[in-house]
Amino acid sequence: MTADATINTTPAPGSKRERTRAQGIRRFKWAVLTPFLALMLFILMPAFVLQGYFSFFAFSIFDAGDNTGFSSYFEASEWVGLDLWADALSDDKFGFAIIRSLLFATGVTVGCFILGFMLALLMYRPFRGQGVYYIFFILPMLTVPIVIAYTGEMILYQNGPLNDILSILTQTRVEAQFLYKQEVALTSIALLEIWNWTPFSFIIMMAGLASLPKEPQEAAQILGANKWRIFWEVQVPLLRPVILLALILRFLESMAEFPKTWGLLQGGPGSATETVPVYIFINAWQFFDISYGAVLSYLILFMMAAIVMSAIWLLRREKKSLDAMYDSKPQEG
Amino acid sequence: MSMTKSQRRHAFSAFRYFVLTIWLLIVAFPIFWMVSTSFKPDREWFAWPPVYISENATLQNYLTVWADVSEYATDETGKLETYTQSLQRPWEALGNSALISVISTTLTVLFGSVLAYGVSRYGILSEGRMFQLLMLRMVPPIVLIAPISIWYSALGLLDSITGLVMLYFLTTLPYAVWMSKSFIDEVPREMEQAAEILGASRMRTIWEVVLPLVRSGLVATFLFILILTWSEYLLALLLSKTEVVTLPVELSKYQGSTEGRVYGRQAALSVGITLPLIVVGLMIRKHLARGFSFGMVRR
Repeated sequence: MTADATINTTPAPGSKRERTRAQGIRRFKWAVLTPFLALMLFILMPAFVLQGYFSFFAFSIFDAGDNTGFSSYFEASEWVGLDLWADALSDDKFGFAIIRSLLFATGVTVGCFILGFMLALLMYRPFRGQGVYYIFFILPMLTVPIVIAYTGEMILYQNGPLNDILSILTQTRVEAQFLYKQEVALTSIALLEIWNWTPFSFIIMMAGLASLPKEPQEAAQILGANKWRIFWEVQVPLLRPVILLALILRFLESMAEFPKTWGLLQGGPGSATETVPVYIFINAWQFFDISYGAVLSYLILFMMAAIVMSAIWLLRREKKSLDAMYDSKPQEG
Repeated sequence: MSMTKSQRRHAFSAFRYFVLTIWLLIVAFPIFWMVSTSFKPDREWFAWPPVYISENATLQNYLTVWADVSEYATDETGKLETYTQSLQRPWEALGNSALISVISTTLTVLFGSVLAYGVSRYGILSEGRMFQLLMLRMVPPIVLIAPISIWYSALGLLDSITGLVMLYFLTTLPYAVWMSKSFIDEVPREMEQAAEILGASRMRTIWEVVLPLVRSGLVATFLFILILTWSEYLLALLLSKTEVVTLPVELSKYQGSTEGRVYGRQAALSVGITLPLIVVGLMIRKHLARGFSFGMVRR
């Protein structure tokens, strides 16, 4: 891979042609990167700096009064040092929100993965109707999350079809509350999320299974291994990079889940669905407490950055081993 | 008693169809319910037992939502009509959504693919940098919303198409780079070498030799990112207030109403939002795995 990463016509090192060529590539690189870096510099960086400022200077939109200009934000803010940080760290509701988000993300990740992997295992070999099933199975992923939220509400509604189907199956009138009951609200949202994103795990596992080399399985078969052992000792180890990818991406995305939780329940009933994104949103935009929102955001940013960096480290390691495996194989084109 | 091989194969086949069909029903039901509700008249929205397929199917929901043709009911639904009439501007929202997602996706794919070309051919970003790029996508956008809206209000970018386009550009760029790189990596280098030897400039080589070869891949990348931007909710909710409202935000206004739920109308709007995505998504279904897998799935 690395050997042919540059075009083979590379001139001899040190020659004049090589130097102008290297210059050309450098110019090309910066021409392409400039718009991206400019946006980072003028949009994201100032935002993070502002966030830092307001986490030490208490400010809420109400403080600005009628004067809504940008500079009034600074006049209305007042130095409080580390007070807000201390508040956030001793904020029980925030702690519960983090636990809730972690549980939610773990449940959704595992649910999506088990379902997606199972379906992929049943489907990756050709059979009659495979194409039709595949088309149906990816539909939830193509449905807008906020649409899923509201459609979910119509279905979970107390006089809705789900209770009707349950009534028919059990032959009694079922009047379950799926959304407006503290004990089950988050689970219902998690089920909607699983419905929405199982296709993601499914297509990744399908692609992973389809790309498995045949030789190791055949070798294991000849050696007399049964299907179960081939699955656990040959297929699963070969699939490890893909499995990790499916788990990591799904976990990160569900940590950030917002449309369904907010669109349906805004954190309620009580604070049963106050996940991290909802809690930050409530503080910054219901209570207009920009400063507290900023502190919470920073804390979550640190936490997520740590998670994301270890995730990226893992993915990189897997990709390296994958590259090594494919490069050692003779190219088949 | 053990089964013969062919019996076992039949049993497995039956089991497979059984499981897959159950999942198919689970997948199809909500979509069916959304479509079916969009054709129901008001009195069937909350009926018990629920109406699965309306015998009084009507286009009224679509007309009210999309064509602003209200039926003038005399009972409490009359109140509802005034509400839906005054608040909803779906075509405007559709226009905004289309404009924002097409502009930002075009820019993202344009820069992303040229960057990907540079990475693929000249290694202008190391693998470490490529993975750092992923941070942009993996850190939850919620941590940004408070400061970005203050900063946007200072720049006068709140409630503007430009503001959203810039953020969507940044958050989808990692996907564009990774996905188009996976297509460009597959193009053999010999053609470019020939062009280079013939004295073609770099831009010309990219434009006339490489791009035509990866065209279908770039279309897939484009549509993939279009799906992501079209359905984005959080940033759109936050940064668009009155002027620039996207379709997902428009839909959520129905939910926020104090007039009670208007399921039929919601469903009619939902169908309009979802249909384009399903069409687009099915067109690129073969490439979806590649879009999500950051080079981890080989073929």
